[in-house]
Amino acid sequence: MSAKVELREIDPIRFVIPQDSKRGMRTSVLIFANRKILDEIRSDLSLEQAANVATLPGIVGPSLAMPDIHQGYGFPIGGVAATDWQHGVVSPGGVGFDINCGVRLVRTSLTADEVRPRLSELINQAFRDIPCGTGGSGHIELNKRQLDEVLEEGAGWAVAAGYGEPVDLEFCEEHGCLADADPEKVSERAKQRGLPQLGTVGSGNHFLEIQYVESIHDTEAARIMGLEPNQVTVLIHCGSRGLGHQVCTDYLAEMGSAMKRYGIVLPDRQLACVPIQSPEGQSYLAAMRAAANFAWANRQAILHMLRGSLRKIFGNNVQARLIYDVCHNIAKRERHVVDGVKRDVLVHRKGATRAFPPGHREIPAEYRSIGQPVLIPGSMGTASWVLVGAEGAMRESFGSVCHGAGRLMSRTAARKGQNARQVLERLAQQGILARSETRDGILEEIPEAYKDVDEVIEVVHQAGLARKVARLRPMGVIKG
Amino acid sequence: MRGRTRAELFANAALGLLSVAVELQQVKPINTYPLAVAGDDEQSLLVNWLSEILYYLDGERVVMNRFEIREITPTSIRALGFGEPRDPARHPAKLVVKGITYHQLRITKDSGGWCAEVYLDI
Repeated sequence: MSAKVELREIDPIRFVIPQDSKRGMRTSVLIFANRKILDEIRSDLSLEQAANVATLPGIVGPSLAMPDIHQGYGFPIGGVAATDWQHGVVSPGGVGFDINCGVRLVRTSLTADEVRPRLSELINQAFRDIPCGTGGSGHIELNKRQLDEVLEEGAGWAVAAGYGEPVDLEFCEEHGCLADADPEKVSERAKQRGLPQLGTVGSGNHFLEIQYVESIHDTEAARIMGLEPNQVTVLIHCGSRGLGHQVCTDYLAEMGSAMKRYGIVLPDRQLACVPIQSPEGQSYLAAMRAAANFAWANRQAILHMLRGSLRKIFGNNVQARLIYDVCHNIAKRERHVVDGVKRDVLVHRKGATRAFPPGHREIPAEYRSIGQPVLIPGSMGTASWVLVGAEGAMRESFGSVCHGAGRLMSRTAARKGQNARQVLERLAQQGILARSETRDGILEEIPEAYKDVDEVIEVVHQAGLARKVARLRPMGVIKG
Repeated sequence: MRGRTRAELFANAALGLLSVAVELQQVKPINTYPLAVAGDDEQSLLVNWLSEILYYLDGERVVMNRFEIREITPTSIRALGFGEPRDPARHPAKLVVKGITYHQLRITKDSGGWCAEVYLDI
């Protein structure tokens, strides 16, 4: 479908797949992309998948495709779908295996010129201090009771346990904890997978990146966030590890069976869903929130370890303050205006970031005048962006925007014909030092595997979903 | 994955998953692990079976390199896995597999035997 689907152009950055394009669609698909990105999107199944999402019972508004959209499993990655809270469905595939995968951005008191001569030392220190890669366990030992506390309290548990500062919580989406999480809805298997993994980055596309502020695009917003040219920042990207993966596996299996009882038929089994208000739907949401809290505690613990690494290299006076933490794999109950009426909906963000505009009450008071910080990692050879949410996101995308550059190549395709040493040398020539536990970790994330992040950002900026604040250039990357 | 029989297909699928995730060459089949999985149909049986193997690997920290399928129907499987507790030095991890998906999942049978295609979320 993706290659031949008839798209209707609304304007140069908005395209629609009409509701009658495919049997079973209950709404249209709205795509935010320019022509070049659209051509890239059409090379995989992501638009077919976005159309499948449009068949979900109780979907409200269009199925949304952000400019970083690419083929996922069931849901496309870079997709947003809101379902009616009373009569709609919840789909674990709309959140994904890595529940509350997200990013947090840290600003330091260091400049790029100060860090560059000791970058190698810093990378090596962080690599020692922060467990990365395929190894399953970290430095934090939890018993089962403590794990249940993590699942209920999220980043707050980590801060109370000494991993960070109370002020960090102010600068996390949801203060780093979703209410109504229920550890009892998380299987023993999921807990077993998660128990040794708190405070670990993991592998795949997860990373820790040392960057500097290359350019400022909104002086006032940057000032309020404390961002200045040449300042060093650190971006942490990871999620709920094996615990979240198992929660998704458990509930996909349960919902696959339960769907028949609810008479739900879908074009793709990976979209398995049940009514939000069903016992299975409520159980999944309570478990998903618990897994999300694990992810927030995880990123909080990693921030604490990063602070330790920075101090070991640059002394005890170095500052590392959290700018913000966003999740980009989540389903959340929110109130949005749809066709002029306020409605409670469950917003599935699968590879999409919340982007609330200025004045929204869920934004930290310090940022309320500029909008919620939106953190968009690019590839390790290009750039990442800081944006702020804008009004257009509330009108058009359930307060959501993209989450990254978006893959052009699968991980397998990216590995083919590449030599890890040459990739590392090429990055070094650009002033970027990369270290990975595995050779594949470098190859899978080569810059060519991703779309042009600047073009993706330009689309969401022009669409009025978010506004550009700062472009961050990588200096050092630690990968799993 | 391929197999002459449904049982061989499932055993090979388990080995295929494990060989993606971890180095299997030095696994010693010193312990046996009883495995029993059910599904609503053949596809969900395969997904649930591989999810079980993945759980043993990531949750129980057990790596297996041989499977004896004792009983298999389109909706249930009973088997023994042979392996040992994971030792990162002898069984280095290759890739973290997050989960087993239904994405473009295919199980077919022809004159050459059984064949399945499964996508892993990595």
